[in-house]
Amino acid sequence: MDESRAARLVQAVLRCYPARWRRRHGHEAAELAALLIRDGTPAGSIAWSYLAGAAREWLTPRPGRRLSAVACALLAAACLLGVSGGLLASAGPARAASTSQARPRAHGRPGSPGPAPAPGRPQVIIRVAGHGRSR
Amino acid sequence: MAVGRRDGRAGQDVLRRAGEASVLILISLAGGPKHGYALIQDIKELAGIELGPGTLYGALDRLERLGLIEPLPAEDRRHPYRITAPGAAALRVHLDAVERVSAAGRLRLQLGGI
Repeated sequence: MDESRAARLVQAVLRCYPARWRRRHGHEAAELAALLIRDGTPAGSIAWSYLAGAAREWLTPRPGRRLSAVACALLAAACLLGVSGGLLASAGPARAASTSQARPRAHGRPGSPGPAPAPGRPQVIIRVAGHGRSR
Repeated sequence: MAVGRRDGRAGQDVLRRAGEASVLILISLAGGPKHGYALIQDIKELAGIELGPGTLYGALDRLERLGLIEPLPAEDRRHPYRITAPGAAALRVHLDAVERVSAAGRLRLQLGGI
């Protein structure tokens, strides 16, 4: 990777940091990356290090940052992971899907939406704020 | 949240959970003030470990928040840092603790004849 492309990559990654961090370290961080690239450090590893640093910077609670902001960032990351996982799962072999559709319910009562409790096992109903669900 | 004698934590190893990068930075700064690039080069020579720049800035911010290092006036675009008195005390306590553990480990290896 030539120096200008490497510099652009590092600049792009540095934009992932919070503005407060960029105001304080941004110029120095870009200069440090340029020096390290000149020394032979791969630009990809520098970019990765800054990317991990940016993630830590966002996720570390600071006195000026409310915990809810950190929780929101974590939730967003978890949602993104969930969406990616869902997409991966839906791209699975079509044969598996057709097999599961063709299989009849083993314990389902006729007309009931879910599986029936096992015989001899007591049915426990939990009611929370007016809602009931069977276990 | 600075570490000092006022908060009653003097003598405690505050660097125990600070991470290797923080300890290496303090050791490097014990030899005199340095900016980011000089720190990376010095730690590479000192310990054979190449700190990533993201790790370096994270550790510098953490150490500064703890009051163990402080920034000096910027030279051009570079911000040199120096170790503070509580930083030097914390490093001394940590190195003593590491030495004790190291000595115990060597003794056990010797006694076990391994």
